[in-house]
Amino acid sequence: MPCSIEPKPTSPKSSDPALAIRCAAVTKRFHFYEHRTTSLREAFIRVARRKPLDIRRARFTLHDVSFDIAPGEALGIIGPNGSGKSTLLRLLAGIYAPTEGRIEVRGRTAAVIELGAGFHPELTGAENVDLYGAVMGLSPRELAERFDEIVAFAGLAEFIDTPIKYYSSGMQARLAFAVTVCVRPDILLIDEALAVGDQWFRERCLAHLTQFHGAGGTLVIVSHDMDTLSRLCGRAVWLERGSVRMAGPMADVRRAYEVSSP
Amino acid sequence: MSLSTVRVMTPGCSQGGWRAVWRYRQLWRSLTLRNLRIKYQRSALGFVWTLLNPLLTVAVLATVFRYIVKVPLPHYVAFLLSGYFAWNFILQTLSAGTYVLAEHAQLSRSAPFPKEIPVLAAISSRLVEFALELGLVLLGLGLTHHHGIPSSVVWLPWLVAMQVLLAFGLLCPIASLSVYYRDVQHILPIALTLLFYASPVFYPARFVPEALQSVYLANPVAQLLTAYHVVLYDGQAPPLSLVATLTAASCGIAGVGYALFNRAQADIAEVV
Repeated sequence: MPCSIEPKPTSPKSSDPALAIRCAAVTKRFHFYEHRTTSLREAFIRVARRKPLDIRRARFTLHDVSFDIAPGEALGIIGPNGSGKSTLLRLLAGIYAPTEGRIEVRGRTAAVIELGAGFHPELTGAENVDLYGAVMGLSPRELAERFDEIVAFAGLAEFIDTPIKYYSSGMQARLAFAVTVCVRPDILLIDEALAVGDQWFRERCLAHLTQFHGAGGTLVIVSHDMDTLSRLCGRAVWLERGSVRMAGPMADVRRAYEVSSP
Repeated sequence: MSLSTVRVMTPGCSQGGWRAVWRYRQLWRSLTLRNLRIKYQRSALGFVWTLLNPLLTVAVLATVFRYIVKVPLPHYVAFLLSGYFAWNFILQTLSAGTYVLAEHAQLSRSAPFPKEIPVLAAISSRLVEFALELGLVLLGLGLTHHHGIPSSVVWLPWLVAMQVLLAFGLLCPIASLSVYYRDVQHILPIALTLLFYASPVFYPARFVPEALQSVYLANPVAQLLTAYHVVLYDGQAPPLSLVATLTAASCGIAGVGYALFNRAQADIAEVV
């Protein structure tokens, strides 16, 4: 069934109306398949022989994760590889549904997980902006209004009618990021996607994120880059093997994390 | 999504639903344009090629069944043309179902868009082409067969609507099954070939023996094509019993197909 959209509660109830994001006891289970039936033919045979279609083990990528994010806050999510950071971000973005628990998100969300996913190489920059902007949830009117702004931010006015297969990877990243910027979300979720691109691009992203946060936007960033996180985030959550190991001010969590890793 | 609403995500929920589809309507439009652009990009004759394939098939069918098999039907080419493009629409749309979700796999993992959108875009991009084809068919039939435009063309909007509903209802489960099972793309062409022979594409439904008529017309595609033949070849309004059964079948299949699709939707981003 579709995710529900509830109107803002007029009186304070269990959910605090001031929160941007609330994660309550969120658990995410994926399945490890020892055998997976990938053809209908095999499915019929297995059903006829009364064998199970799939043999799988459950693996809990996230276990009982709870935290709140206030509007205008910047939260960093850190942890070793495989700790569930990307899964958590995708849950917040709505790409995955939780196995247990509940996530409430208030405000317009844009997720930057793979810059330029959905770009088609044969289409021009303009056509891809049209597509990517739509993917990010821009309405027809917004897309028409902000098109020039996107092209200007990316600095690609000269090449906007060239197929993007002729763009460098840096140019593609700039175009994708420009679209994300112009979505003007309330909440920005970033998953290590800005590690691509050259120094100029990374500085530009950082400048924009700082400005975004300064203007009151809510930020959630997954990264291994402690310096960037320290510059941007006030609080951090340390995930280890799917559970919250520590949550608190950025500096404290960073120190504890760096001390613990060899 | 404004600050006055809260999006709540609970176990088993998906990003689908008609409200989400409306919110992402720009993506529907963009994907439709993208499908059409990719097809006609740098193609000198563009739409002519798309037209050529079914026209060539019609030519072959006409030659074989008029001159070799000698199907006793006056103006056999007109008969073929009146139903073939609707069949071609069903054929092309359902064939696209095997890759329509998989081609957006990377996107599904990066952005929360309703999975109905690629399915709808596959239908609408084909519908644009069908509209042009239908215009040409009307022109051809008007000039050579009816010598004018028959009044039965008022039934065309309803026919096209039924066609779209039927295609949607069949496409949804094909698309979601294709995500889980690799051999759907191999089984589908076989099923479609059988459907070709079980539907009145190159012969009229009334040629089917009396005893088998009710079984034969249980096939909704057979009902659809028969209705097209009545409207475009006979130039008459379809009988009310056919209108009733086709409407019921199309709406029913659309509803069931979509319900099956919706059940799988929450998992598709993880599986694809």
